[in-house]
Amino acid sequence: MTRSRRQLLRQLGLGAGAAALAPLLLQACRPGRGPAAGGGGNTLVMSSFPLYIDGDAPGAPGSISRFRRETGIDLRYLEDINDARQFFARIRPQLAAGRPLRQDLVVLTSWMAQRLIALGWVDPLPLEQVPNQRNLSPSLREMPWDPKGRFTLPWQSGIAGIAYNIKATGRELSRVDDLFDPAFRGRVSALLEMRDTMGLLMLADGQDVSRPTWQAAQGAFQRLEKARRDGQIRRFTGNDYQNDLVTGNLVACIGWSGDVAQLAIDQPDLRFVVPDSGGMLWADLMLMPRGASHRREAAEWLNWVYEPREAARIAAAVQYISPVEGVRAILAADPATAALAASPLMFPDAAERRRLHVFGPLDEQEEARWEERFASITEA
Amino acid sequence: MPASPKPERRPPWPWLLLAPGLLWLLLLYLLPLLGLVPLSLSEPLSRFGLETVFRGRVATYGEVLGAYGPVLLRSLRTAALATALGLLLAYPLALWIRFRGRRWQPLLIGLVVLPSLSSYLVRAIAWSSLLGDNGPVLAIIHGLGLGGMLEGLGVLRGGRLLNTSTAVILGLTNSLLPFLVLPLVVSLQRIDPRLLEAAADLHANPLACFRRVVWPLSRPGLSAGLLLSLIPAAGDVVNPRFLGGPNERMIANTIENLLLVQLQAPRAAALTLVLMGLTSMVVLLQLRRGGLEELPLP
Repeated sequence: MTRSRRQLLRQLGLGAGAAALAPLLLQACRPGRGPAAGGGGNTLVMSSFPLYIDGDAPGAPGSISRFRRETGIDLRYLEDINDARQFFARIRPQLAAGRPLRQDLVVLTSWMAQRLIALGWVDPLPLEQVPNQRNLSPSLREMPWDPKGRFTLPWQSGIAGIAYNIKATGRELSRVDDLFDPAFRGRVSALLEMRDTMGLLMLADGQDVSRPTWQAAQGAFQRLEKARRDGQIRRFTGNDYQNDLVTGNLVACIGWSGDVAQLAIDQPDLRFVVPDSGGMLWADLMLMPRGASHRREAAEWLNWVYEPREAARIAAAVQYISPVEGVRAILAADPATAALAASPLMFPDAAERRRLHVFGPLDEQEEARWEERFASITEA
Repeated sequence: MPASPKPERRPPWPWLLLAPGLLWLLLLYLLPLLGLVPLSLSEPLSRFGLETVFRGRVATYGEVLGAYGPVLLRSLRTAALATALGLLLAYPLALWIRFRGRRWQPLLIGLVVLPSLSSYLVRAIAWSSLLGDNGPVLAIIHGLGLGGMLEGLGVLRGGRLLNTSTAVILGLTNSLLPFLVLPLVVSLQRIDPRLLEAAADLHANPLACFRRVVWPLSRPGLSAGLLLSLIPAAGDVVNPRFLGGPNERMIANTIENLLLVQLQAPRAAALTLVLMGLTSMVVLLQLRRGGLEELPLP
């Protein structure tokens, strides 16, 4: 992680970061303008979540700068996706009307990528020009969201679990039930990402999240609703839980592994734990929206980030689970990053992986029903 | 029989001056707004597509009122409380600027407007830092030993300010203050000083002078401030998101969620029109009471 990222989190908070990104958001909202929508012939436009790549540091240019310099491709890396659902709402009018976006590549969470693929709004990746795709971790091949692996390549994976400040809680936390401890009333948050929050609560109920059913979710919905009504849950958040965790507004929350690992560098009291009942495993994927014009440039980028040494730089910065084989050995060989190679959150072993679960698919009608119920709790 | 005087023909230029503004409102406000009416009565053809089909489905209105009626009421209550608190702060401030400001008046008015020059979003985030659990406001409250009393009054919840209704009201009040102060100052400026001298000559003490002269003549300013603040407050989306919790969500947050997350455009349109209907009623009531002439809009 770069210094600038930590400073940004501390000094401005992610909300202020969002304000700073407003021009980019507006820029990204601009309608596509045909084949050259992304810019000139040598331009590659990519949208991703904020703070999800290594940045420039004095004397050490980040991945974006080095890619630009070494390939001559003008990569425009936009950190304009704060919430996958809201991003979908923004791009939907253009894609539904058959118009291309200005983005050539987009990073989206697997369930949203699956939705776009099902709608026919994604082009196959130019994988024939990406020899480094062979470095994709075997555990991420033939995944349910893209069984033939034609449309997506993973960017990073991560775990949703419990983040907490040991100094504030006064004890270690290990169960989802700990979030509902009355001693923490009003100082706990949950994620607006429904699959992560509901997944963790359903696992605590002993339910199978790989085949989620409406009936199986009722206990979790009711528990969440009661916690919201009673004031146990202070907020439902996106990435912005990080600022509350750092400033002490939260003592515990549902959070994402890489975020907490990064924050813990400066705040050693912050911990992340996969609950006893299991954690939620998710993956963010790179895909090409339909009609993207810069296929060669996109292939160059995909090949670049799937080169283990480049992937190791990104993994060391974001501290999520890299999808690229060989990253661990590279991190272990460097004394500055050797500790990361031993992190079970970045490199979960087989036993740990058995405790991680992927939220199963919901059909259109079921998803609408779940979203409405979840919103009745978070937006009541 | 004397010839009747020829009726004076009004020059057309006032309408020409109005035309750009009217055209702007018609194209970019009224037409999209009217488009919400058929949308609210439609059904989407598919969950993720954009196409809707008009079915004259009035039931959507009943559904959104049933599901989100409490949020709507909460929004109106929060907006009313923020406006009331704003008036309590704005009135003495406007009085002071008008009667004690003297040559500093332009500077004082500038200071009132100054916060509005910064981003609305950044201001809300700044307030979240001020009101945070380890922020300066709570430190002062606890330092003065006022925590227990404010908890009892419902101002604090569980010893905290951030993510409570108090924080949302404070944030809204802060945002609304210029819209309350400016019409009040304009209204007070209109008071002829000779009326105050006459009141004093007639042995009215300062309180009587305020009650019989200043207050009645400043009421149009109060009404204007009420309109200018209550309506945007009821539809605010930023303060409840950054300063409130899930129990403080306001109706604009719900509309945003319906449109962007749940992809239920007809429901979002129906709720928007309900909110607009309610705020329009407030405007109409005001206009019926006082008319446009009384509004000292700055």
